[in-house]
Formats: sequence, structure tokens, C-alpha cells
Amino acid sequence: MNKTAANTHSHVKEPLIRIVKRDGLKLSKLVLVYVGAILLAMIIGCILLASMGVNPFKFYEKMLTIGVVGNAFPYKCFEGYIKLFTPLLIVSVALSLAFRMKFWNVGGEGQFIVGALVAGWISAIIGESAPSFLVLILMSLGGAIAAGFYGSIASVLKVKFGTNETLMTLMLNYIALYLIMFFGETKADWNILLNEDSARPIFKTFFENAWMPVIKIGSFSLNISLIIAFVITALIFVYLKKTKQGYELSVVGDSISTANYAGMKTGRIIIRTVFISAFLIGLAGAFYVSTAHSLSTSVTNDVGWTGVIVAWLSKLNTLAIVVTSALISILRYGCTQAAAEFASVDSHFADLLQGIILFSVLACDFLTRFKVIINLKRRKSHE
Amino acid sequence: MNNEALGIFINFLFSIVVYSIPLLYGTVGEIITEKSGSLNLGVEGTMAIGGVAGYIIGCSTNSVTVGILAAMLFGALCGLVFSFLTVTLQANQNVTGLTMTTFGLGVYFFIGNGLASSGKWPIMTEHSAIINSWEAKIPFLSNIPIIGKILFSYNIFVYLAVIIAIVAYLYMKYTKMGLKMRAIGENPAAADSLGVNVIAYKYIHIMLGSAIMGIGGLYMGLNLGGSFEGSTCWINGYGWIAIALVIFAGWNTAYAILGTLVFGFFNTLQVYNTDLAYAFPNVLGWLSKIPPHLFKALPFIITAIVLVAASIRKKKNPNEPSACGINYYREDR
Repeated sequence: MNKTAANTHSHVKEPLIRIVKRDGLKLSKLVLVYVGAILLAMIIGCILLASMGVNPFKFYEKMLTIGVVGNAFPYKCFEGYIKLFTPLLIVSVALSLAFRMKFWNVGGEGQFIVGALVAGWISAIIGESAPSFLVLILMSLGGAIAAGFYGSIASVLKVKFGTNETLMTLMLNYIALYLIMFFGETKADWNILLNEDSARPIFKTFFENAWMPVIKIGSFSLNISLIIAFVITALIFVYLKKTKQGYELSVVGDSISTANYAGMKTGRIIIRTVFISAFLIGLAGAFYVSTAHSLSTSVTNDVGWTGVIVAWLSKLNTLAIVVTSALISILRYGCTQAAAEFASVDSHFADLLQGIILFSVLACDFLTRFKVIINLKRRKSHE
Repeated sequence: MNNEALGIFINFLFSIVVYSIPLLYGTVGEIITEKSGSLNLGVEGTMAIGGVAGYIIGCSTNSVTVGILAAMLFGALCGLVFSFLTVTLQANQNVTGLTMTTFGLGVYFFIGNGLASSGKWPIMTEHSAIINSWEAKIPFLSNIPIIGKILFSYNIFVYLAVIIAIVAYLYMKYTKMGLKMRAIGENPAAADSLGVNVIAYKYIHIMLGSAIMGIGGLYMGLNLGGSFEGSTCWINGYGWIAIALVIFAGWNTAYAILGTLVFGFFNTLQVYNTDLAYAFPNVLGWLSKIPPHLFKALPFIITAIVLVAASIRKKKNPNEPSACGINYYREDR
């Protein structure tokens, strides 16, 4: 194309800057790019913090150590960190499954809420009488299956009618949000989710049988859901690398027409994968409420949105997701810890930093996908 | 109908417009963006940044006009970041938009908290010019009974929004630039081969759209009396509703005026349901029994139904830009 253009217009100069696609960058360079992005965000954050009269180094120290230093109960910080990290890890891994097929599931928030809500409902019905392991299993399965079906609304419509899944899952997020607000704010006889003793509508605390078990290590309690989250991550890793379904998934992601040509039932693969994705997100929701011992209208903590960002930053690589979600959790949890000390900064500072980091990564991503060729010897081409 | 009931009904109609107009800014901004081929999911963040910047600068200069210009400027800056990343650097539009929302809310709370904690957050009632222009009504016309209240007693932002929506409609439909911009949204490669500067057009329209969203953010702030709450942002989900409204309005900024009122109708109903039930006990008594959350969810439910119905009919809305959400890389042609 360029050649013919040059031929017909023989006096056109070659452009000064040319951009061509490339296959990818070495891992070492990629890591360098990311470290650079984080540093840039930290430097901008430094300036912003200083402008608010906050000592940025003290703030960052508190943030990066998630408040452990100088704390009388450091194990509480780790517990809080794990409470944030576990759902983020599961949700990010789950979202990466759907994203691999270029199915834009931005409905993590809604699916998480549905999982949490159904788990809460089950715990309210059987939590008092049934044995603990049964309650926990039913809560997890119930929440996960409900969320799986909730996510399937978008995928079935996409497969059957070509409905835009980004917008559909977006709408479903809000429908789920108002659903949980309805349950949380409506005092009625049928509403077993609320605390009966309170005149004001508040969610009740779960029965002890519905609490996520912990392993005591000294005064630190290790939440079982963290271990399950790692098991799930490992299983998904194997699923993607070693199974036929995992292979099908990546083919569909590369090109639907190739998959069709190879005789794959693409519709079924999409519906199946999105179900698994939403199922896991619902599971994370069930785990979370069982860990928190109660429902809340802000149960998601934005994990559906943050999960999209984590999955993307990790290039949908399962192992990278573990690292990225651990780092982003330090950022988010550390910020709430540090913000507690500095009145003029609140925990949303994490959003700001996260935004700058992602903007810089998105910008640097360009360098990993394209090569910029600067042509200093611009000669007139006569070919 | 007695006088009290009539009064409540008129107040209800009045409130629909007051509460829903910020949506129109967001929607028109997003329609312009999508029509030029970009899906910007960062409406919420753009409105937050435009709103807080416009409010603070407007208050410090004690002028609504400066406030509007500042809101537009900062909105456009968000648009500039979005277009630089997605148009020049080919970044994924979904992720960039979501990041813009996260970032925008981060900026909003950072500035708000920083100023509020040191007592420097501007208070709207202390700025006479802002209050005056906010409460100014059209002389004479607003004094007409009933019609005056329903049509002519709003603040300038309401009329500005309607004017922008109509101008945007005319621009896209009847001008050459508008035609070229729509062509890019449909098929950028074809537009490019006809000599349209795709990149410049995308930058201009993304920034223009974001600037309009910024005014909507400022309106939301002023409508809430300019008070900064530590926990909830002024925008509070309106940016997302605006994205839903784009579909409901069928990518047409003139229909968006109507769509805004329909969405606003449900949104206002949750505030007025008990009043209306009280005023018209026989006809509307049932309203007070419906949970307010249903009214809040209705805009999203309706949009979901519109989305599904449109795709089932297999007849794509002819107004929907085909290339929306897909980056244009020239050498892929």
C-alpha cells in the first residue's frame, strides 16, 4: 500500500515518524515499563500530597506497609488486607476468563452482589439450625449459581441476538445494586435479612454457623477463603493451559470465525465460559459476606471495577493476576490505613493513584504493541 | 382537582426537569463521542472532574460563566487524555473509560477532602453572583400562572442544555462537519480514504463531548447546594445513566431531551411518590406502596429492555454508529 502510494506521488516525503505493529516485548522490558508507570504515579502522588500539606514520605510509608509499622495489633492489618485481597483475586481471575473471549463482562459488581445476597439469604434461612459446613457449602454454591445465571443473562442474549454485552452487564450492575438496597432498606415481615430488634432497617449479623472458618496462628486468624482463592486460581491456570475447554476458549478469543470453521460450537463455549466467570464472582461474593459476617449495600467495595483493571493490567495472565491483585490491594488497603492518620486525604486517594498508574500503563502499552520508527534521513522516495 | 393537589402536581413536573437535566448534558456529550466512533465509559469521572473544577473556579471568581467555562475546560482535558490514549496510543476504550471513572472520582474526593478538611471548601451561599444566576428566572414569562412555572422558571443551565442538544442535532444532521464526523463513526477507513482527517475529528469530538459532560457535573454540584459530602460524589451514578440514555435516545440528541424527561420522571417519582399519593388518593394512592428502589432501577431496566428488543428485531438502530468502540489503526485497512 505504501509502495504504490509512493509510486504514484513520487515527490511525497517519507514521514518523519512511522508506527508499525510488533509482536510483543520481552518480559524484562515489560516489567520495566510497569515499574516506570508505578514510579510515575507515585511521583505525581507525592506532589499532590505535598500540595495538601501532607508529608508524602510518611504517607507512603504507612501505605506501603499497610499500617503494620507502629501498630499495636499488626495482625489486624494483615486480616484486613486479606479480606480485601481474596475477593479481588477471585473476581480478577474470573473476569479474565470472559475477557479472553473478548466478552466484555463489566458486570462484576452486579454478579458479586447477587452472590452475596443469595448467600446471605441462605444463611438467614438455615444458618441457625444446620451444621456449619453444610451452611457454608450451600451458601457458597447458592450464591455462585445465582450469580452464574445472572451473568448468563448477558451471554445468552449476546449469543442469541447479538445484544451488546458491555452495556447489558452495566445495566445489570445497577439493577442488582438497587435490589440489595431494596432488601437492606425495606422493613417487612418477609424480609429475614434484616435485624428484627432494630427499628431502623439494618442487615443482621449472620449466625455463627455461617461464618467463614479461620485457622488461628497465634493471634492472627488466617481466613480459609484465602486458601480456597489460591486453589481456584491454580485450577483456572490448569484449566486454561491443559484442558480442551481452555484451548477452545483461547481459539474463540483469537477469532470467532476460525473457531466456527474448526467446527467449535462458539455460542456454547461463550455461554459456558461466562457462566464459570460469573459463578466464581458470585462465589467471591458469598465468601466475602461469610467473612464479614453480614451483608451491606456497599458489599462490593468496587471489586467489580477494580477486577477489570487488574485483569487488564495483568494481560489476562493468571499468574500475573495474583501479583497485580496483591499489589493493588496494598495500594487500596494501605491508602485506607494511611488516610485514617491524615485528615486531609481520604481513602479515595487510592483511586487517584490507581488511575494514574493505569493511564501510564495504557500509554506505555503502546510501546509494547507498536514500534516507533523515527526517520531522520528523510529522503524523497523515487522507487 | 383542588389547589393543593394542583400545586403538588406542578411541583412534580418542575422537579422532573430540575433533576433530570444533568443527564441531558452527559447524554449529549456521550452521543457526540459515540457518533465519532468512541465509546467513552468515563462519563461519571469526567462529570466529577468538570463539576468540582467548575464549582471551585466559579466560586473563587464569583461568576457562573467562568464556572461553566472551567467545567468545560476540565471536562475537555479528560477528553484529551481519553483521546490521546485511545486514538493516538490505541489503548482499549473500555479500560480507558473505566479508568477515567476511577481516576475522576479519586480527583473529586482528593480535592474535596483536602479543601473541606482545612475549611477552604467554597460555600455556595456566600457567593452572591453564583446564587443570583442560579436563581434567576426569565422575567415576565415566569410570572404566567402554571405555564410560567413549568416552562419559564428554571435556571440558565436548563435552557443551555436544551439549546446544546438542539444545536448538536442540527450540527450532526445538516452540516458538512457533522456528516464527516458521523462517517468516521460508521466506517473510519472509508472516511479516511475520502480525505477526512480521522484523528483530528476524533480528538475534537471526544473533547467537545467531554466538555459538555463537564457542565453537567457543575450543574449537579450547584443543584446540591455545592455541599461536599465525604462519602458520596455529586454525580452519584448519573454518568452511567447517561450512557444508558444514549441507547434509549437512539443516538439522537433531540430525542435525548425527551428521553431525559422519561428517565427523570421515574427518578423524580421516588421523591414525590408519597406526595402524589396524598394529593390524588383515588387515582395514585398505590404509588406510595411501591418501593422507591424500583423507581431508581427503572431507567436501567428500561434501557436493558430497549437493548434486548433492538437486538431481537435484528434491525439495528440505523443511528447506532457501527465502528463505535473499535480503535482505528490506519495500517490495518
